[in-house]
Amino acid sequence: MSDFVSTLAGLPSVALVFVYALITALATGLGAIPFLFVRTLSDRFIAYANAIAAGLMVGASFGLVGEGTAYGRLETLGGAFLGVLFILATQRMLGEQDEEALVFGAATGEGARRMLLMMIVMTVHSFSEGVAVGVSFGGGVTLATLITVAIAIHNIPEGVAITAVLRPQGVSVAKCAGWSVVSSLPQPLMAVPAFLFVEAFRPALPWGLGFAAGAMLFMVLVELLPEAFNQGRRTQVATLTTASIIAMVLFQRLL
Amino acid sequence: MSALMSDPTLVVLVWASLAAFAAGLGVVPRLVRGSLSRGALGWANALAAGLMLGVAYLLLTDGLGEAYWAGSAGAAVGVGAVILIRRLLGTAELDLNALRHAGPEYGYQVMLVNTVHAAFEGVAIGAAMSVSTPFGISTALALAIHNVPEGMVLTEILHGRGVRTLHAATLAVAANLNQVLVAVVTFALVSAAPAAQPWALGIAVGSLLQLVLAELLPESYHQAGHTSIALVALLAMGMVVGLAGVGP
Repeated sequence: MSDFVSTLAGLPSVALVFVYALITALATGLGAIPFLFVRTLSDRFIAYANAIAAGLMVGASFGLVGEGTAYGRLETLGGAFLGVLFILATQRMLGEQDEEALVFGAATGEGARRMLLMMIVMTVHSFSEGVAVGVSFGGGVTLATLITVAIAIHNIPEGVAITAVLRPQGVSVAKCAGWSVVSSLPQPLMAVPAFLFVEAFRPALPWGLGFAAGAMLFMVLVELLPEAFNQGRRTQVATLTTASIIAMVLFQRLL
Repeated sequence: MSALMSDPTLVVLVWASLAAFAAGLGVVPRLVRGSLSRGALGWANALAAGLMLGVAYLLLTDGLGEAYWAGSAGAAVGVGAVILIRRLLGTAELDLNALRHAGPEYGYQVMLVNTVHAAFEGVAIGAAMSVSTPFGISTALALAIHNVPEGMVLTEILHGRGVRTLHAATLAVAANLNQVLVAVVTFALVSAAPAAQPWALGIAVGSLLQLVLAELLPESYHQAGHTSIALVALLAMGMVVGLAGVGP
């Protein structure tokens, strides 16, 4: 009964949580902006864009694992294991498709497969992020604005990562921004139920955070880094990736 | 024994030595199974990469605490040091796993690369020990295991150049011995000037990440399928993160 009353009392804040989480999703689109200033899509650019995306995703995964282990270390690792399995299965499924049947934007075959996988990984990871947002809002809505701004800014590098994978395949910057927003839409959708039923969602949180981290790390190791090393010099690829990891971790810690 | 081990510098010395000597175990697979396949070398590299990635994660998350700026500045120094040394030595774009068709200078170049690589592991052990002894021990242990597959790859290269197995094991340990000195010096410096701790941790994180990405992963992708490389590396990383939770 008291739960029900507090849920009712929380109703205006439910709308608030949704609107705030939606703003954070839209912020992801801002990540496409830096790519307005890149005019040529050379092989080197593809390598370095992949390296940056890889670094941002590794940095983000470090953050997710750190947050997840605070709730439960084994659950986070279990979630990561499931995340890897999920991407492995998705990869297999996409691999069985006909080359012509796989279309993403103007690309088909291998390029389309990589972009689809990237979209799936980033979208799936947004589900857990949405739960994390909702659960943290559950602690009280007074800090809501601050948390929203933090998460919105935190989403921008994720938009950079998505654009870095889509743009070299010839997807326009505007469309990259659109796909970035789409990848973050699960955030508002998951934030609201997680906020309303914090107690029910909290045990699932380390699993979800681990799942997202496992999926992203696997994507980095199986697709982005080999592609980067294939097209670019190893010192440059390594330096860009390491710098992006450190920048991402610093960025997340400061917010 | 316990009285001896209560001296913190001695603890660093013992565990860093253990890590260095573990490199000699790299000859065991060769003794048991003979020559290693290309795929096995790829997995050895991926295993080494995953363990090192796990150590970098632990240093960053559990070690650095709140000192973000000094840590990041340290990381930049670590990355810069690795790039600079590899460029000065002329090994920046060297194929580190050339088993044949390599010139006479290739043998000492590979030894050089391994020696420099090991020194940065020493920074990691020393910096981790300054955080806490259990944290330092888990770091040293993870790097000791990491040194085994690295020793495996080195043994294979040396064997291809006509080096006997016992000699290869000795050379693998020798290339890693400097990490004992670097670990003790790092630990002593940080103990004397605690303000340097986030810098030391940052240098370790930056250099370890750069070494994984510049030396271990690029080779592995040429030697085995991408999926198996990713799985082995992630499993190794997961092991480090998991064991850190149950550590002493």
